[in-house]
Amino acid sequence: MKLLSISDGKGYFLSYSGEQTLLDKIAKEDLLRLVELTLSSDCQLDAYDPSLIHNQAHQIIYENIWSRLCELASKKKQFLDESKRLYLSEYERYKNDRPSAREVPVAECS
Amino acid sequence: MIKIDLHIHTIPTASDSAFDFDLAKLKAYVASASLDAIAITNHNVFDFRQYEDIRSNVTGSVLPGIEVDVDGCHVLVIADPPRADKLVLASQRLEERNAGPDNPVAVSDLLEIFGNLSDYIIIPHSEKKPAIRAATFASLAAFVTAGEVDSPKKFVRCAKDEQKLVPVLFSDARMSATLERFPARCTFLQCGEPTFAAIKETLRYRSKVFLSREDGNALFPVLGDGLEVSTGLNVLLGDRSSGKTHLLNRISAEHDNVKYIRQFSLVQLDEAQYERDFNAELDRRRSRHSEEYLSAFKGVVDEIFGIDLDAHDRSLDIFVDALLRSAEEVDRADSFSKTRLFSESTFKIAEDNSLATLIEAVRHLIENVENRPIIEKHLDLAPLRALAVELIEALWARNAERSKKDVANRIIEDARRQLAVRTSATQVPDLDLYAIAMDRKRVARFEEIARDLRREAVIYERPVQGFRVVARKRPFGGAGELKAISGKKIAFSDAMDCYNQPYEFLRCLMGKPELAEADFYRFFAHIVYEILNRDGYNVSGGERSEYRLIQEISDAQSFDLLLIDEPESSFDNMFLKGNVNAIIRDIARTMPVIVVTHNSTVGASLGADYLLCARKESGPTGRTHKIYRGYPTDQSLRAHDGSSVPTYDVLLTSLEAGEEAYQQRRASYEAVKH
Repeated sequence: MKLLSISDGKGYFLSYSGEQTLLDKIAKEDLLRLVELTLSSDCQLDAYDPSLIHNQAHQIIYENIWSRLCELASKKKQFLDESKRLYLSEYERYKNDRPSAREVPVAECS
Repeated sequence: MIKIDLHIHTIPTASDSAFDFDLAKLKAYVASASLDAIAITNHNVFDFRQYEDIRSNVTGSVLPGIEVDVDGCHVLVIADPPRADKLVLASQRLEERNAGPDNPVAVSDLLEIFGNLSDYIIIPHSEKKPAIRAATFASLAAFVTAGEVDSPKKFVRCAKDEQKLVPVLFSDARMSATLERFPARCTFLQCGEPTFAAIKETLRYRSKVFLSREDGNALFPVLGDGLEVSTGLNVLLGDRSSGKTHLLNRISAEHDNVKYIRQFSLVQLDEAQYERDFNAELDRRRSRHSEEYLSAFKGVVDEIFGIDLDAHDRSLDIFVDALLRSAEEVDRADSFSKTRLFSESTFKIAEDNSLATLIEAVRHLIENVENRPIIEKHLDLAPLRALAVELIEALWARNAERSKKDVANRIIEDARRQLAVRTSATQVPDLDLYAIAMDRKRVARFEEIARDLRREAVIYERPVQGFRVVARKRPFGGAGELKAISGKKIAFSDAMDCYNQPYEFLRCLMGKPELAEADFYRFFAHIVYEILNRDGYNVSGGERSEYRLIQEISDAQSFDLLLIDEPESSFDNMFLKGNVNAIIRDIARTMPVIVVTHNSTVGASLGADYLLCARKESGPTGRTHKIYRGYPTDQSLRAHDGSSVPTYDVLLTSLEAGEEAYQQRRASYEAVKH
């Protein structure tokens, strides 16, 4: 699945309909989808090469999106781990339906 | 009945200040205190040779032991003398582990070090620092013999409470050559022989453990010389210079955590200084009260602090201006400005803690120990755990979503900036109108709360033995009051000018670098703390002394022993009888109190549990100070040497200036009456 591509001197992105669409049409919802696809599947991006993109507005947008998605793809595991850091120990305990140490009754000290 | 002290130190360790052990001193202590059994319990160490030396020189039973640092608390492990070799081994193991206050052993290690703990007397600190923790106690409970306390007050409390460990009170003394006075702390056991087995067995029963040899827990030794006083209310009588204050000073010096209200300490010697002290004390109480009352408002101020409405207005102006220009320049659009990202706004990522709060609430329900039976009566924990799992998954998904939007936003912002540089078209700034509208609402609500807050009202009122403590709130009356609250020498007249517009007022305070942001909330309403007399007026000079006495006595609750030297020094009899006596009686229900008095209103009306009488007497060896003691119903009070004085004489002499004066006064009253 190719998220970003270069063709005929222009930049394209994979739109919701599955078509390669001109980069000047990209909106924030499309960007969010590209981020999600990068994290959830193995995607491909045409490497940014300004000499192949003649439209300067496309160059700016392409470079920005390409560099961020490349960075994200390289830190995919770290990104997913970080989002699951909160309450991880409780999650693992409760998921296995095991009582925690604090749930075991403790005799009060006299 | 046997007398024991199973907590004595003879070797200085890392937990003690340095001292030189003196065997002669230990022998003298055991003989003077008539102890039947002692235990040698040094910190994490046992010296067999020294123990044998002590055992062969000291009369009575000498038990071997170690005071071990266990999980941050201290535990006495005492062995049967024939098993002292076990302690030698344990001491080696403790040394190998470098056990000490910074390196305590765990309960599981204790089993490994000492073997079967059932073979020992195990006494943790229970009502004594460092006290055993609940979790440590839970693991050790099966082996614990008794719990050590550090005062007769705590001993009596634990002795009455079936939920507490059987209490024991020991000296915890260092037997050094420089020890000047022998400690008074000890425990009496109702058992025949002072053997390890008999002591261990007796300690199982709280009904066989006492503070005194003959009077159960009604009396306790207050001094090392054997002087016993009541664990309730004691009245100490005696002529001038008979040694009463000297006795209180000795007791104060030999006990920790004593509240000592000295004679004349509450009398106004310097009216101006006294008033300043009194007002400073009031100010401290007011400050504490203000903090409590305004703590919720502080959160509101902290939230408003970050809102800059002027900056919002400027952003709005720029936004509208750019919007209008961009509409005018529609013909100048180029390939850069025509891209969708050029005018794209970012995703708004709002802070939302509701899911985390919900997870915390469910977690509390699952893990709460204190109210477990109630929770389990209404809720099954298994579905609660499943709920927590689902909520945590939802939280993770939301966090992931936020992070993704954050990545997208950074792309949008960078692309917008770079596209704007390359075009002559006007870019409409990305403005969060929702956030601006919400901030305006927040400020409006803040202003409403701040105006409500300053509305005059009594926020706290409490009667205190005939006085009324009143805290009221009102608006600040002028810049001077604001300055006084700030404690700084800066002008507040500009702030006072906009005091009626709370948001403007806050911004004005923010413009004063001398003020700490965390203190801004204190300038919105003035909390005034007053002590009013019975008639509702501010207290007079004499009333201030009365109030302070009541406060001093009431504050004694957190101490282990209360000593009061002549409370009548500056108070009238009605106040003493009506107020002070009642408080003293109340407090003596929970702790030992010793009151020195000459006053019949205090002495005779107090309802003492025990009488003490100090006397200076001439004898063959010169003048000596003696203390006679006994119950108020006893015919006579007895001294340590067996001599006695009639109780009636003591009362009349000390409180009524003698029989003759008493009869004369009585006759005068009768004459006036008729």
